[in-house]
Amino acid sequence: MAEPSAPSVPAAPPAPGLSSPLWRVGWRYLLRHPWQTALMVLGIALGVAVVVAIDLANASARQAFDLSTEAVAGRATHQIVGGPQGLDQTVYVDLRRQGVATAGVPLAPVVTEVVTSPQLGNQPFTLLGADPFAEAPFRTYLADRSGVPLADLTAFLTRPGAVLLSRPVAERFGLQPGDTLELNVGGYRRMATLAGLLEPADSLSRRALDGLILADIATAQELTGRLGRLDRIDVILSEGDPAAEARLRSLLPAGATLTAVAARSGALQQMIAAFRINLTALSLLALVVGLFLIYNTMTFSVVQRRPLFGTLRCLGVTRREVFALVLSEAAIVAALGTALGLALGVWMGQAAVRAVTQTINDLYFVVTVRGVAVPVESLVKGALLGLAATVLTAAPPAWEAASVPPRLALSRSGLERKAERAVGLAALASLGLMAVGLALLLWPTRSLITAFAGTFLIVVGIGMQTPLVTTVAMRGASPALGRLWGVLGRLGPRSVVSSLSRTAIAIAALMIAVSVTIGVSLMVSSFRHTVEIWLDQTVQGDIYISPPSSTATANTATVDPAAVATVRGWPGVARVDTLRAVTVDSPAGPIALAAVDNPSVGVERQYLAVDRPPEQVWAALRGGAVLVSEPLANRLGLPRRGGELILLTPDGPRAFPVVGIYYDYTSSQGVAIMDLGLYRSLWGDPAITALALRLTPEAAQDPDAVAAALADALAPVQSLLVQPNAALRAEALAVFDRTFAITGALQLLTTVVAFIGVLSALLSLMLDKQRELGILRAVGVTTRQMWRLISLETGLMGAVAGLLAMPTGLALSLILIYIINRRSFGWTLQFQAEAAPFLQALAVAVIAALLAGLYPAYRLSRLAAAEAVRYE
Amino acid sequence: MAEAAADGFVRATGPAPLSFPADYGPHDDYQTEWWYYTGNLEDPSGRHFGFQFTIFRRALQPPAQRTGRASDWAAEQVYMGHFAVTDVAGRRFRAFERFSRGAAGLAGAQADPYRVWLEDWQVADVPGRPGVTRIQAAADGVAVDLTLTDRKGPVLQGDRGYSQKAPDPGNASYYYSLTRLVTEGTVTVDGRTYAVRGLSWKDHEYSTSALAPDQVGWDWFALQLDDGTELKVFHIRRADGSVDPFSAGSFVDQDAAVTRLARDDFQIAVLDTWRSPRTGAQYPSRWRVIVPGLGLDLTVEPWLADQELNVSYAYWEGAVRITGARQGRPVAGNGYVEMTGYAGSMQGQF
Repeated sequence: MAEPSAPSVPAAPPAPGLSSPLWRVGWRYLLRHPWQTALMVLGIALGVAVVVAIDLANASARQAFDLSTEAVAGRATHQIVGGPQGLDQTVYVDLRRQGVATAGVPLAPVVTEVVTSPQLGNQPFTLLGADPFAEAPFRTYLADRSGVPLADLTAFLTRPGAVLLSRPVAERFGLQPGDTLELNVGGYRRMATLAGLLEPADSLSRRALDGLILADIATAQELTGRLGRLDRIDVILSEGDPAAEARLRSLLPAGATLTAVAARSGALQQMIAAFRINLTALSLLALVVGLFLIYNTMTFSVVQRRPLFGTLRCLGVTRREVFALVLSEAAIVAALGTALGLALGVWMGQAAVRAVTQTINDLYFVVTVRGVAVPVESLVKGALLGLAATVLTAAPPAWEAASVPPRLALSRSGLERKAERAVGLAALASLGLMAVGLALLLWPTRSLITAFAGTFLIVVGIGMQTPLVTTVAMRGASPALGRLWGVLGRLGPRSVVSSLSRTAIAIAALMIAVSVTIGVSLMVSSFRHTVEIWLDQTVQGDIYISPPSSTATANTATVDPAAVATVRGWPGVARVDTLRAVTVDSPAGPIALAAVDNPSVGVERQYLAVDRPPEQVWAALRGGAVLVSEPLANRLGLPRRGGELILLTPDGPRAFPVVGIYYDYTSSQGVAIMDLGLYRSLWGDPAITALALRLTPEAAQDPDAVAAALADALAPVQSLLVQPNAALRAEALAVFDRTFAITGALQLLTTVVAFIGVLSALLSLMLDKQRELGILRAVGVTTRQMWRLISLETGLMGAVAGLLAMPTGLALSLILIYIINRRSFGWTLQFQAEAAPFLQALAVAVIAALLAGLYPAYRLSRLAAAEAVRYE
Repeated sequence: MAEAAADGFVRATGPAPLSFPADYGPHDDYQTEWWYYTGNLEDPSGRHFGFQFTIFRRALQPPAQRTGRASDWAAEQVYMGHFAVTDVAGRRFRAFERFSRGAAGLAGAQADPYRVWLEDWQVADVPGRPGVTRIQAAADGVAVDLTLTDRKGPVLQGDRGYSQKAPDPGNASYYYSLTRLVTEGTVTVDGRTYAVRGLSWKDHEYSTSALAPDQVGWDWFALQLDDGTELKVFHIRRADGSVDPFSAGSFVDQDAAVTRLARDDFQIAVLDTWRSPRTGAQYPSRWRVIVPGLGLDLTVEPWLADQELNVSYAYWEGAVRITGARQGRPVAGNGYVEMTGYAGSMQGQF
């Protein structure tokens, strides 16, 4: 930033550039206003911290996903997968016997399941069953090169229940070779023995092995009960060898399909993309609020020093140097704030990672994150964002400082007049912003980025209306307040308007933060309300029985047939509906299928569109039709009526007419409902995923007792979750609330940033007004009256922010519900207006403003009148 | 005569009648077993090839500890395959190794119909042609597909098939050979396929503990002469460099009559050596084999110096050519020589 002096003025004294004296101007200013500086630093720090924390959480989740994919898929490029029951193992043996591997296409059989163990902290682990003789090309940790160390392998291959863990995992849980592990595999208790430890070669494989229990494929079949079956066959096909791929395809029997690993994991990644973008957008909002604060404070510091800048200019300091001076101040604050923010962000990231991973596990698939690796990119991104945003935000005030003419500064009243003129301009510009924002929102696209950009423009646009609204509101309030509190009552609103250049920005920042609170609360409560209604409609059974799964969505585990028989004969059970939940392949990727035998399924759904009366839906399903959920219809682009769903059955593709589209909130990827009998006849899969029981009227008096007795009776067969209706609903809502926990935390953080902004703005404002208030003291205004005046002023600011936040929050919630949510997850939510979020928001705004005014009021009330008047 | 040893595996402790076809199959209660095929082949233009096709079996645990598990993949046996082709004109020797569990149909052995396989490498009876087997193996552009017709039936090595390798009677194997297998088929090298004819040799041996602790390896010769006879001799080498007294041999005449040879009935003199550039091991590379009682005086020379299999256990196994005389009349022929323990002791190996 140090600029050489212009060569055309050789006679001038040595140009200071940004040499030491000028630097000191900036430093000293920051040091002499420690509160303001600290608040600015804190504001930036919090903004950066939130962005970094969320980015970290997203990156960690992604990394964990990649690692678990890498750990489980290894170097496989393709996988051969079967239907819901996996593949017959003879598919693999036949491919080997036909020389596919000899022809340069490595193959490895895999049996895998998510399991938990009390000895492993009851966290989800992936049990990976592999054949060490086939592993070398795929996963390096089990076999090195072709040489298989026979001595080490003997126990692994021959001892029933033998498993391996990586040494760090074993050490973390205090396990040693020979120890027994009690595994919970889909509700069955299985005993395993730690047969040995794997030494990870590097940190990457250490993390890849972190969530893994390795077993021989025979052991894995025995532990999971999948005798004769494989979950998949891993394949490595070299790129640019379509002949090998075609040959392999030609060798596959019906029901076995070859898919690219990238496509599969891409589809999984796609699932959580929307979730991640939403979090990122919310975290950016915190930064935007922080930027308002920076802008505000920098402007104030410039305004306060106009005389100084005038003097400097008189002394021959160039415009450019003044500009650089102010920017360098901003850069110092930015550097401090960003550094603090990064540290804070990494710390908060730990908590965020847990929350984000939990949600992904709840809603999508299992990832295990243990020990957050801090990706350098996240830190670089956060640092650049913090520095660049601060310096850019400080540019207009710096420009303002540089444009001070080289004489004594304009009077404050002059500046405020200028600000008043700007009110109209800002209002006008904001209309433009909002128009562009609205256009972006209404743009017919499914892009989330566009939607968020539009949302930001609208919010910022409304924010820019603040000066106008404030002026109008204060003028309107002034007479009424005057009648109430006399001179002081009129003085408050006028004072707000007279320092509009700073009050407006503080109000806008608070308004935005509060409106986000309103918008998100309304969205969440509408969502929750919708889910409650939907649960009422859909969860009609009295008792639900399913195998415990480590995630809310995993459904590979099945109910033991013996348990089903017990349930069917249980006294008090009037009817047993069975569900088979599976994922089947379709030309459009994997599709979740719910095969049911519940004849009232048709009337237990709410329809977006349906071809016939709900009472006749069941007959249509029996006739080969399917129902699809709204997200699935959106994902596949199905028409409202007359669509069809194509699924890959073991006998090849088959089209199913879609009889209706129903609302559903279980999966953002969507679900299709099919008649269980039809499913069984097509896929030949007799397994059952869950049972819904209807009780006789007598038994229904006390479903908890029936559930408890059933759970006890079933325990020897399989440990199953037996949940009464109410418990299931409560669990569904608990998952829902957990999903939004991180949203709530972000919302709170944004409000904290806004609060700091308001505090900082008021502090500056009050210090600035020291002389004015000193005069008031001098003319006899008491301490009490001073308190009242300042509280009135801050309260008014809070009230304006709170009131303006109401329509903004409403607009935000509508955008979130009808645009962002639909685009992200494909869900239609029933908008549910509630008074509470609005009132809360108003209260938060006023209380935040009042609290922020406490310290300045305290300081001013303690100043002696003479000292106050002296000012600077 | 076989009995269970302390470690639970059955050991060969004395002569026991071998019976065929049952003993063509696997003997899972012994720790180790191999089916060993070697041969010398030529295409019509005289291009000479050697091949080795071996399936090894090793039991992971003794019979008493086997638990009878539910999964088809539960492995009691591990199979290892070695496949090598020597292309003399191309001066190329290619060797491959692979492993599999002897379970789920991936690898295994059976007596009748005879079949030993490791995935797509296999040797099996040709249906409807008694005494005829077919070997199919391929790896990385190298392949053989050969039909072998047995001319002499099983030759029992040692004492009625009991081949003692050390003073302890348990350090022995059961061992028979098919010494003259008339072979035809194809050999593929670097993607080019040659129609070939020639002679192959099969050894099938099973044991639990063959070598004594001070025995480091062996030099083994399977020589097929053009007068219709075969000579098999082996030296067991001791750690101190001396030749073990349990070294032995056999001579098979045109009518499959077998003459047993003891340590002192034959001499093997090393005439030259070759050092492996990969393992640094120094192997003998030319020999004079003399059996005074049979009037045999043969010079044995590798078709290619470098026929070392650099697999998980490095050893030399290669095609050799023979010149010399039997009872004063010139004879020639081909054969295979195996040398183990030069790049590392055989103790504790597969």
